[in-house]
Amino acid sequence: MVTAMTEFQPGLVHTPITPFTPAHDIDFDAFAKLLEFHIANGADSLALPMHAAESVSLTDEEKRKLLGFALKHVAGRVPLMAHASDSGTAIAASFARYAEEAGAAAVVSTAPYYWTPPPAMVLEHFAQIGSAVSIPFYVYSAPEDMAGAKVTTELTLALLKRLDNFRGVVDASHDWQFMIDVLTDAPRARPGFQLISGTEYMVSAAAIGSGSLFSPLAGIAPKLVRQLYDLCADQKLFEARNVQEELAALRQLIKRSGVAGLRAAMNAMGRACGGPRPPLESLESRAADLLNAQLRGLQGLSAEPRGW
Amino acid sequence: MRSDHRHYTEVEKGAPVQSLVTERVADRADEADAPAQARSHRGFPRLRGVMQSPVTPLKDDFSLDLPTFEKLLDFHVRTGATAISWPHHKAESLNLTIPERKLFAEAAVKVVARRVPVTIHVSALAVEDTMALARHAQQIGADGILAITPYFWSPTREAIYDYFVRLATSIDLPVVSYNSPSYLAGVEITGELMSRLIERLPNFIGVKEASFNSEKFIEIARAALPLRPDFALVTGVEYLLPSVPLGGVGSYSAAGSICPNLCEQTFDACVKGEWVRARELQYKLSKLWLLFRDQYPSSLKGGMVIMGRPVGPTRPPLPTATKERRDHIEKQLQDLGVLDSEPYGW
Repeated sequence: MVTAMTEFQPGLVHTPITPFTPAHDIDFDAFAKLLEFHIANGADSLALPMHAAESVSLTDEEKRKLLGFALKHVAGRVPLMAHASDSGTAIAASFARYAEEAGAAAVVSTAPYYWTPPPAMVLEHFAQIGSAVSIPFYVYSAPEDMAGAKVTTELTLALLKRLDNFRGVVDASHDWQFMIDVLTDAPRARPGFQLISGTEYMVSAAAIGSGSLFSPLAGIAPKLVRQLYDLCADQKLFEARNVQEELAALRQLIKRSGVAGLRAAMNAMGRACGGPRPPLESLESRAADLLNAQLRGLQGLSAEPRGW
Repeated sequence: MRSDHRHYTEVEKGAPVQSLVTERVADRADEADAPAQARSHRGFPRLRGVMQSPVTPLKDDFSLDLPTFEKLLDFHVRTGATAISWPHHKAESLNLTIPERKLFAEAAVKVVARRVPVTIHVSALAVEDTMALARHAQQIGADGILAITPYFWSPTREAIYDYFVRLATSIDLPVVSYNSPSYLAGVEITGELMSRLIERLPNFIGVKEASFNSEKFIEIARAALPLRPDFALVTGVEYLLPSVPLGGVGSYSAAGSICPNLCEQTFDACVKGEWVRARELQYKLSKLWLLFRDQYPSSLKGGMVIMGRPVGPTRPPLPTATKERRDHIEKQLQDLGVLDSEPYGW
């Protein structure tokens, strides 16, 4: 088990969204197509359901069903990382246990939602989720999604002391000092410790030492994402700058309207996955048209696949 | 007639780095009559490499120590600074009176004596003081000014735009803006604002970027470089490894008064794309930054004592490094190999 854990390298991780029907139920037919699309278009691993997949809007039962479906459908073709985050520590730990039993390759967790516990309790939260499983465990630092709360190097080092299966941090803070600090100190405590770039801003992370990438934009622009990842993995960082800027342009376009924008962009690429679940709203048609026009204006998207 | 020749390195987008010779193409007499557009492109050597922003040496009674300041400026130029900029926050800018700032600005221009460009940081609590410092910088023959977004208030984006337009059009010098959202409660120059300022101001030549964040840095690069390809993206301290592959051209140094060799080696490794070496050096530099950031800049001044370059205390409300703090710093410098690899004394 320890050997397998040491060897797990997520690589380029696609983070599929959750398709919904017009009645806001999970659309499993579309989900099956989406999983096939990601596997056929360059995913080394999958992680789900992440925030862009509206994990927070799914019930615990739905999340289990979604994960079970994905594991069965993917059938080991690529490793699947399960996102186990919740407000309550025991609820998240229970989901993590389910994920391992169902066959997930790893678990990834954010800090608890809504609460702002003291650092010792945040550590306890992660420690309990991580110790609920024996598969590799990752902590996800997403301050933009989490009202500014960041994973710190101190927390990381403390967690390494508590958990044998803690393998790394997925960083969406884009914070250079954190990335440098954590890669200076954590691999000394545990050789093989991984920093995973949590968004497509990978060039700086790769310069600092990240070797994996979580990509929410892979459903829109899998070729660009793969190109960025491969250049970064080969340490061709100057050469990666153009594609990095193209993906940054795409990200900024979509970011303005968040999950609704991501879904509208999926629709524009011919991969309709429905609108978001309440309380999020779909883009109004004028905004969706504008986004379509802006996407057409992005040269980098011209080579990307349309349809499924 | 050329007043100065210097070697600079340049990182071209998508290609590893080539060395080139950038020359100061206009002498001072020519520059005096040149419009701002020409000066920013012709008269001002591009900002490149590790630039030094000296601390402010003080006597034991907290008064300015001019002879030591002169030695420090000379030390930085001799140990490879590609430009001098004073007084940044590490020079306790906001704890100096306006007459004190003018006095040392003049000394900086005089002592550096055109060996490298000198820019003056003009940011003050009151915008009217900032305007006066900018005019003064021009009068004394500085090569440019640096200015942060206004302090204390949370100005709107339009107010920030108006501020920089007023400042930059009031003088005939190149202007570098200073972006530090984490120290100014989120007040920042966004990519969109950067574009507008570049389009409006021919003498706006660069930014000291201190968000230290991939997304913010890329947004500024995407906004600035298509409009002004030689616009200088300079990181606020030595975050060279994450910024150079994105178009960064160097840094304003935090640690250069302690370890100029390490700073220069890190920049060299980055522009050559030697990432394994660059990573090792950057990790070390970042350890030093963490050490100095704690009680900044008194820890830096404490470290300078250890390196044989004492520069006196730090003005309140900032603390002065105690003997215990200096011992801690010395141990860290020893562990990082700095004591054996960097110059001692002046």
